[in-house]
Amino acid sequence: MTGALYALIGMGLALIFGVMRIVNFAHGAFLMVGMYVSWLLFERFNLNPYLGFIVAGVFLFVFGYVVYLLLIRPVRDRSDFMQILMTTGIGLILVDSVQLIFGADYHQTNIELKNRWIRHFGLTFNAAELLSFAIAAVCIIGLRSFVVRSRTGQALRAIAQNRDVAPLMGINVSRIQGLSFALGIAAAGIAGGLLLPALYLFPSVGDDYTLKAFVIVVLGGMGSIEGAAFGGLVLGVTESLTSLYQGNQWALIVDFILFLLVLSLKPSGIFGRQRA
Amino acid sequence: MKNLRGWKLSVFIGVVAVSCGVPLLVQNDYQMQVVFRIALFAALGLAWDLVGGYAGQLSLGHAAFFGLGAYGLALLTKAAVPLWIAVFLAALIATLFAVVMGRIMFRLRGPYFALATIAAAEVLRLLATNLDITQGAIGVTTPALFSGRYFWRWFYLSAVVLAALTFIVNAWVSQSRFGYYLMAIREDEDTASAVGIDTASYKNRALLISAFITALGGTLYASAFQFIIPDNVLTIDISLQMAIITMLGGAGTLLGPIVGAILLLSASEIFKNQFKESHLLIYGILIVLVVLFLPEGIMGGIRKLLGRLQGAKRTAVSAAG
Repeated sequence: MTGALYALIGMGLALIFGVMRIVNFAHGAFLMVGMYVSWLLFERFNLNPYLGFIVAGVFLFVFGYVVYLLLIRPVRDRSDFMQILMTTGIGLILVDSVQLIFGADYHQTNIELKNRWIRHFGLTFNAAELLSFAIAAVCIIGLRSFVVRSRTGQALRAIAQNRDVAPLMGINVSRIQGLSFALGIAAAGIAGGLLLPALYLFPSVGDDYTLKAFVIVVLGGMGSIEGAAFGGLVLGVTESLTSLYQGNQWALIVDFILFLLVLSLKPSGIFGRQRA
Repeated sequence: MKNLRGWKLSVFIGVVAVSCGVPLLVQNDYQMQVVFRIALFAALGLAWDLVGGYAGQLSLGHAAFFGLGAYGLALLTKAAVPLWIAVFLAALIATLFAVVMGRIMFRLRGPYFALATIAAAEVLRLLATNLDITQGAIGVTTPALFSGRYFWRWFYLSAVVLAALTFIVNAWVSQSRFGYYLMAIREDEDTASAVGIDTASYKNRALLISAFITALGGTLYASAFQFIIPDNVLTIDISLQMAIITMLGGAGTLLGPIVGAILLLSASEIFKNQFKESHLLIYGILIVLVVLFLPEGIMGGIRKLLGRLQGAKRTAVSAAG
């Protein structure tokens, strides 16, 4: 069930990497911001997280665009080294600002839906999990068809394919990159909003997800959006199986070992083409 | 010592002398502990600089070596290995780990490399948290290398010695063929390998030296605080700190990591009192500022400024002549 959420997180990261060649080490931090937005809405206005995620997505879209303009665009053409440091720095700032504002306490979001179970075909589903799965699936399909079908999506892919030629074709690289960054961040924010009911909320909750997002994206092949969706599902299944047989604490270890294996054996990912 | 000629040698002797004099000015244990950490992280920053600065490989997993040193010391002494032997044995174990890590990871480049180093360190952290031998999140106690009234003073001095030795290693590297190879790899790995440099082997060597020193630093840390938990010695915060200190001071410069350690740790000490748990905020802000405005770090910036002044002088002289 978490697979679809992972897929959404991974797609956001893949979108940013594919179009901008920027590795976003703050992805989990943005996800965490999405969770806090959704939580605030729930606490203050009693808005259900399954509606609040929309606000979280919109907020993070705007926020992502601003971050792009202020901090990412200046380092666009610098080395990987600098970009990684920059996004790491942004991540630290986000996590610690949230900690400063809201404190390090754990928060839980209780909604009635979480205690409802649906039985079908001899299987039992948690209603809340089922709903997040459905919403995430809709978002994934929406994001994919946006990238594949729409004119802006075409421009996105054009930049991903060749950044030097794209502007010659009349594509405003800056605007499109900002858009893709904002979209990627919004995807993380939506995933955060959907994750909220399932997790305890605290400022560094997103940290694990940054790494997981990379595992997902690397599994599927860096920069490939379909690959990321697939990687998310693989990771979700692997994690569930590990927790089932070995206990929860081993799930993350297996994630990382899987990650190192894929990196050392086939760095282009399971579906990736050979890199030039 | 032939590489430490002229003003560099005098700067080096001066810095060491001043560092040795610091304990006379410091009154209480708390301050002593802070200057110990500054000296320790200067050494760690210098060690990181070999891989991150000279060879240009952004490692964000140096906590692995640090933690292996710390846990190695704790577990080896528990197995009745004599204290000082355990220190070096722990560092050797970390170096062995670096051999394995280097083999796998130096085939990767750029972001992939950085990610793989993080993942490797995280695997170690999670193992230490979940295995029985390391007592998980409860942590283990480590024996103190020194005891008595001058406890912190001794630890501080050993950190200074470690930093000084690392400085000498870096000074040698920066002017040796080995160092030039590393810098060639940093500038353009493909070209470097095209002109016949065995890039994988040289990157590995840099990592080995760096890992050994980092692990020694880890043993010092563990032994000074006498108690370690995975979230303390194996966290990505340690790796980040090493990278930030070096980048702030100037990657690939000799004095950079030292300047960085002094600035960053004293800033974070001040902020710690003000913002409690959010003291990493200052790290984040500093990173962003450095990347935006001072991409070559403080020493890099100064060097550029000096170069410009000299250039100006030269043109003035030639204009007059």
